[in-house]
Amino acid sequence: MPKKILMAGNIAIAEGAILAGCQAYFGYPITPQNELLEHMAKRMPEEGRVFVQTESELAAISMLYGAAAAGCRAMTSTSSPGFSLQQEGISYMAGAELPAVLVNVMRGGPGLGNIGGAQGDYFQATKGGGHGDYRLINLAPASAQEMMDLTMLAFELADKYRNPVVLLTDGFLGQAMEPVIIRQPVTELPDKPWAITGAAGRPKNVINSFEMEPANFQPRVSLLLQKFERIKQNEVRYQGIHLDDASLVIVAYGSASRSALTALKMARQKGLRVGLLRPITLFPFPYQILADLAQKVSDFLVAELSSGQFIEDVKLAVGLDKRVELASQYGGVPLAPETILETIERMSKVTIGR
Amino acid sequence: MHEELIIGGFGGQGVLFIGRLLAEAAFREGHEVVFMPSYGAEKRGGTVWCHVTISDEEIGSLFITKPTMAIAMNSASLIKLEPMMKPESLLVVNQSLAPQEISRADIQVVSVPANDLAAELGDSSVSNLVALGALLAGRPVVPLASLTTALEGMPAKNKELLQLNKRALEVGYTRAQKDAVPHGRR
Repeated sequence: MPKKILMAGNIAIAEGAILAGCQAYFGYPITPQNELLEHMAKRMPEEGRVFVQTESELAAISMLYGAAAAGCRAMTSTSSPGFSLQQEGISYMAGAELPAVLVNVMRGGPGLGNIGGAQGDYFQATKGGGHGDYRLINLAPASAQEMMDLTMLAFELADKYRNPVVLLTDGFLGQAMEPVIIRQPVTELPDKPWAITGAAGRPKNVINSFEMEPANFQPRVSLLLQKFERIKQNEVRYQGIHLDDASLVIVAYGSASRSALTALKMARQKGLRVGLLRPITLFPFPYQILADLAQKVSDFLVAELSSGQFIEDVKLAVGLDKRVELASQYGGVPLAPETILETIERMSKVTIGR
Repeated sequence: MHEELIIGGFGGQGVLFIGRLLAEAAFREGHEVVFMPSYGAEKRGGTVWCHVTISDEEIGSLFITKPTMAIAMNSASLIKLEPMMKPESLLVVNQSLAPQEISRADIQVVSVPANDLAAELGDSSVSNLVALGALLAGRPVVPLASLTTALEGMPAKNKELLQLNKRALEVGYTRAQKDAVPHGRR
């Protein structure tokens, strides 16, 4: 039987990376992801793999570029301010089509913010974040189990599409301990014939994100865009709860979706037909799933730990004729289920009166 | 079963330790569990809390807003916890450090002089386990034996401390059972 243990989210990410065959980790300490780095400091050498505590987040992302270019499964982890520092390197990695896993355990912002959990890096993580035309695959776990499972998936998708993948989570999920079933380790890593591994006996490989001639560069960007289209076609993931009979649907991800689940249960006890749609991939966003839902549901409630970022994608999906309201906390404060429930009740009353 | 426990106190009292311990025991009993610690610039003397949810269903919120159980290890946490408590909930008070009156009449209060009882055992630093024992006497969320088993799996400095911890648990449990006069009004 697989081992099941009580584990903090941050540790589940670290163990997930090791199970996925992560060969090199580079990171610089920042709360609330420190346990992840700490755990990697202990475990990676035990496994005979590379751990580097770098002198800065910039060094970490640059080392990650190098490791990925050399064909390694590699990862960095940080929290919001550190993720901002890494944006230049991330853009270069996207441009050079380098697979790697980037973990952002979000905290309150902007600026130095605070160490409470938050989701204020939504735009930055899902819309690119650095300069240029690119997207990152974004996975949003909602439990310690998913911290492990989606970290493993992140490595797989990064290699499949030769693109950086973000595990976008928050400080609350990083710190919370929950039961986790330990998955089987990945034993076979994919071949990377494009990697820089020494060109003896084969034509040389080139990894860069640069073309002197704009006209030559455009086709490269076009190839990237085609890749992002394939990702949109193939990789949308979500969880739906009580959607069949719902007259109001909460849309939430990450730790906000946990508060939403409790609010849903409270609302159902009051006889309100509430459902929950939880995107697991934030890019690709489940636009079509929401658009289909909007054919039969006209009330949507977005619960997020930011001041109205995620809601923009929901509005884009369901259309301007639907009612989309926001229940949020931001700046590092948890979202109480009662806050979501109040919005549900207010929306339900207005619906009855309509 | 669905129980939501908040433990509050100051840094150094072992608030996180007993929360984690109960979570481990409940997990080993086969329940769904969330252990949510406060994290940050906590230090000896600063305010520390943790939230422990134990359920037989999938657990939603990581945080608790209306606890069904609470342990107030000091006066400051009692002031915060009392108004939050759900009606019919159980509030364990460390009387040694939170001697004030409690006005809520709709909750069950179990008061134990946890520091004094721990000092009688020879080490006032095990007051946390005395309080946890008292909680279990007031509401048996897990068997006492499963807590002691979980205790053996937790990092302990030495065997003597483990024994002391076990005794503290039992002392708190026994004391609360004996004095379990549900005194909503005092």
